[in-house]
Amino acid sequence: MISLQGQVLETLLSGGFICATSNELAFNFLQNDDNYQSVEQQLNLMNRTIAKACEGEVLFCAYQVIDEGERRVVSQQFREIAGSLLPLVEWLVLVQETKGDNAPLSQGSVIRLNEIQSVIEDTPAFCEQLAKIARYPLFNSTSSAVDAQLKLIFKRLVEQEYLLRPNPDTQIYLVTGKIDYLFEVIRFIDDTENLHLAEQAQSAIEQGDLL
Amino acid sequence: MSQPLHTSGVKFLKVLAKHADLIMTAYLSGRINELDFDSKTLEKLIEHGILWRPEPGEDLRLRSSVRTLLEQNLRDERNRQLDANVGSKLATIKTITSHYKEALHHHNYAESEVYMEDLTEHVYGLVDSMKSNVRNLWRRIHNEFGYVGSIHAKIRENELAQTQLTEMRQQLEMFHFDELAQLAGSARELRRLLVVHLQRSHSEISQELSLAQSKLIDLLGKFREYLDRSQMLKGFILHHQQYPDYQVNDYSQLHNVPALFKQSKAILKPAAIDVNNAEHEQLLGQMVSQIKQIRHQKSEKSDPRKAQSFSLDDIEQVDIISNEIKQAVDDYFCQIIDTGTIESALEFQQKQQLDIDSEVWIYSVINGFYSLTLEEQDFFEVQTHGHVHHEFNGNYIIEDVSLGLR
Repeated sequence: MISLQGQVLETLLSGGFICATSNELAFNFLQNDDNYQSVEQQLNLMNRTIAKACEGEVLFCAYQVIDEGERRVVSQQFREIAGSLLPLVEWLVLVQETKGDNAPLSQGSVIRLNEIQSVIEDTPAFCEQLAKIARYPLFNSTSSAVDAQLKLIFKRLVEQEYLLRPNPDTQIYLVTGKIDYLFEVIRFIDDTENLHLAEQAQSAIEQGDLL
Repeated sequence: MSQPLHTSGVKFLKVLAKHADLIMTAYLSGRINELDFDSKTLEKLIEHGILWRPEPGEDLRLRSSVRTLLEQNLRDERNRQLDANVGSKLATIKTITSHYKEALHHHNYAESEVYMEDLTEHVYGLVDSMKSNVRNLWRRIHNEFGYVGSIHAKIRENELAQTQLTEMRQQLEMFHFDELAQLAGSARELRRLLVVHLQRSHSEISQELSLAQSKLIDLLGKFREYLDRSQMLKGFILHHQQYPDYQVNDYSQLHNVPALFKQSKAILKPAAIDVNNAEHEQLLGQMVSQIKQIRHQKSEKSDPRKAQSFSLDDIEQVDIISNEIKQAVDDYFCQIIDTGTIESALEFQQKQQLDIDSEVWIYSVINGFYSLTLEEQDFFEVQTHGHVHHEFNGNYIIEDVSLGLR
């Protein structure tokens, strides 16, 4: 049998994100300083290190030193993330609005597909929004049925580890820490490029109120 | 308690019970549609001070005391009113204490007992109202202001709760225990009520309040974060809509790549199968047994809808080459039927001079007989001639059979 440390190494080296929701055992294992150091040492052998995001809530494996080869990998990954930002953000807003409580998703949130589906089916605006999201290359749906579009989107998100489906028999999904990572990426872009995203939204809402 | 007060109280409660349905309708909808109910009943309820008309022309509403009673009892979340008037209650308590002491001074024990009862009631009432206020706050905290929808409303509710809480803490400061202790003097009963009981409740409540305050601040932070996050998301979409050609800067080309984008390549791939490992044999065997072989029939050649040609000529003559032995057996049976005599098979063979081995012949006759149907067998009788084997008992060697009609 593979030890816990072996499992943690395997997850990190195969590009997985570790958070308390997706892999609680591994997450707790890395909270211990000794374990952390020993995993870090093993990763250092391969020019890798444990990176933390979202105030230590999400852990993943990053390069220690970036050289030519690494830069190519990193830039390709960056392109992937940047390309999937807009569809994911639109999806997040859609889910947030259909859930009705206005609370954005974060690690550990529960999404019940059936509830979302019934709300979307009852609201034509949401239907259009969903169809638009489903057509992005990230999800690449060709279906026009709400049911099929939603299921495909959720399937893709589970594949990319943004969501977790604890029980394959039910359509209940858990949000993993990778969503928080996504928020951090957006926040980073917002801060570095001085986009003032929140202010933009706020002013748009106020203008909407005036109208 | 005097008798008339008791009776009228009971009467009031009975009215409440009798019109419980109406009162709950009023509680839930806020007012009463006078057309829905009997005017006499409504008159009676107004008389008892359960319903009232705030202004002429307005609908009837529940009196606030009844509403408070229901809210308290039903733990309704809509109840955000905190009764924080501790100052006047304390003043009442102090006044009654003076009455009590005066009565004691004049040795008027009966009267002092009444005052004592009243005082106890007031002290317990004060403590109870403060405790229910704290419970009320906690109830709202526990479901995170779930009774309002939007985050903005939650933040406003949170702020309301915070001001109420601050007010309650200010009210708690009004307890001056040195004064109360002085007031109680050396009277044991008074000390127990005014000092011991109030002090204990006071410390309990202030502790709970500080816990509630920290929780409220936590919640406020959480709501602000929610708001921030959802605004950031919406802002991101807006930004994309306003600048359709907006591209995120390529941070991976910076000299110092931000830690967020340093994610390394996934280098672990699934390990290969080792067929030489005896431990894995069973597992591999299972997998092999689960492999399904799917054979697709090639359907291009056999198109079922394609027309086929057929000829209307006569069917070719089919020659069934009959066996010589079978023919002879049939002849033998026919002769028996024709003549009606008993004739042995070997005799028939010699007569017809059949060129068949006699053993094969006899066997064929037996075979011919048993291949008839049971009904046909009934017409014939078969007799076997032979001898018992000299060495192995139970073995009977047939040398000849004779067939006749029954």
